[in-house]
Amino acid sequence: MSRIRPDLSDEPAVRLDGVSLTYERTGEVLSEIDLILKQGSFTFLTGPSGAGKSSLLKLMYLAHGPTRGGIRLFGRQTYDLKRKQLAALRRRIGVVFQEFRLLNHLTAFENVALPLRVSGMKADNYQNEVIDLLRWVGLGERVDAPTPALSGGEQQRVAIARALINKPDLLIADEPTGNVDPEMGQKILRLFAELNKRVGTTILIATHDLDLIREFDAPVLRLSNGLLVRDVEFGGEA
Amino acid sequence: MMKRETPLLPVSDAREAALFFVVGALCFLAALAALTTRGTYKAAEAWGAQIEGDITVVMRDTDRRTAEQAADRVTGLASVFEARILSREEVEALLEPSLGPGGMPDGLPVPILMVVQADTSVGDPTQSIEGVLDDLSIDGDVAGNAGYAENVRGALGVLRLVALSIVALLSATAVAVIAFATHAALLARRDIVDVLHLSGAEDRFIAGLFERRFWILALQAGLGGSVAALMITALIVFTGSGSDGVEAQLLPRLSLDFWDIVILLVTPLMAGLAARVAARITVLASLKDTL
Repeated sequence: MSRIRPDLSDEPAVRLDGVSLTYERTGEVLSEIDLILKQGSFTFLTGPSGAGKSSLLKLMYLAHGPTRGGIRLFGRQTYDLKRKQLAALRRRIGVVFQEFRLLNHLTAFENVALPLRVSGMKADNYQNEVIDLLRWVGLGERVDAPTPALSGGEQQRVAIARALINKPDLLIADEPTGNVDPEMGQKILRLFAELNKRVGTTILIATHDLDLIREFDAPVLRLSNGLLVRDVEFGGEA
Repeated sequence: MMKRETPLLPVSDAREAALFFVVGALCFLAALAALTTRGTYKAAEAWGAQIEGDITVVMRDTDRRTAEQAADRVTGLASVFEARILSREEVEALLEPSLGPGGMPDGLPVPILMVVQADTSVGDPTQSIEGVLDDLSIDGDVAGNAGYAENVRGALGVLRLVALSIVALLSATAVAVIAFATHAALLARRDIVDVLHLSGAEDRFIAGLFERRFWILALQAGLGGSVAALMITALIVFTGSGSDGVEAQLLPRLSLDFWDIVILLVTPLMAGLAARVAARITVLASLKDTL
């Protein structure tokens, strides 16, 4: 985690302009969202279940496009990107999925190494890096464990390590503490905060657990009925 | 210590076993059809040449001695292998279907027949034979089989076309089956494909995974099909089935020469390549519909 980051431009990491999202089955889930996440910021996104947190994150990690509005990542408009450019942009984003999305036939090591493999790196060039990262998330002894043999908390940490291995400019985590006990949840959030502080990674964490985020001096955005509002109860600056 | 990379697509499942069998069976049929096509071609060539080279000379109002003289001179012609006068018994046997088994009446004027075997690739000896008959003042006709051979060649050409169509049809079926299986595999592995996409994998990378998977599967299945075709062909060749008899001459002859072995070796390669291309096109086309 000793990467020296390049000079950051003035462009925000994420910029959403009037973004709306409508699903055929459920109707409009996001309505006219305007949002700016500065580079190097650390932000929480809260809201009740079904408020649209995951949908908003999916737009940001380019899982699908909005029904209306524009999304800019690192200053680049995303709607007209070619597929190759889209893939390159995704490599700058680390995602911790709510349901982990680990590949069950791979080991912890191989799951973490996945983003490096898809970018064409050879195993002997990333082996130490992957093992170091697994140690950093407390899984140094579980490097070769098959995914199904890992506990929920361990799988969560493998998913986090996978999201970080590419040294992303933007880390998006969807309920990263949802499947672990409160103590582990705190550890994971502290790990993110440390990453943000030490490396300057832009981090957006969606969670419904308000108790967990109280100790962090970070802005909290709240989604309610598809609308995004700033939560004044918490500190920080977006 | 260097870790061995696990394939990103999980190892084969029951669906792939079924696909393996289908591709193997198609390759078996394609290899057999290709060998049969080649056998037909060879049979057509050999049979056509044989028919074209068989010439019958009918000599009327001449004695056997003059006829023998004519046969000697015809044998001396450049393109002629052999010329001989048929015995009375042989002529009777030829006429038996028309005159019955009682033999020919003694007073019946029977023409003397000379059969000539020639190499028509060297040249048509018909005119030279007619020249010999003229020289010896023999009233006779030279009956070649060129027209008949042409018909036979035409019929065998159609047969070849049918066999080639079967090969093409089987190949197209194999490609279609693999394209279908790739699409099914893509749907079944949607979760993996999504994770790869969101990890920054380009479409070419994902297509490459499926390409390699189906290339190896089709190569192995094709090899199995080729080996099965080899065994069946070897069985036919070495047990001598169809090696004798009139019927056998009308059928394509299977063999196992150099080019047959080439066909058997090329079949799995072609299957593998077809699978690779089919998988690539299918995956790239399907991924276009995703973000």
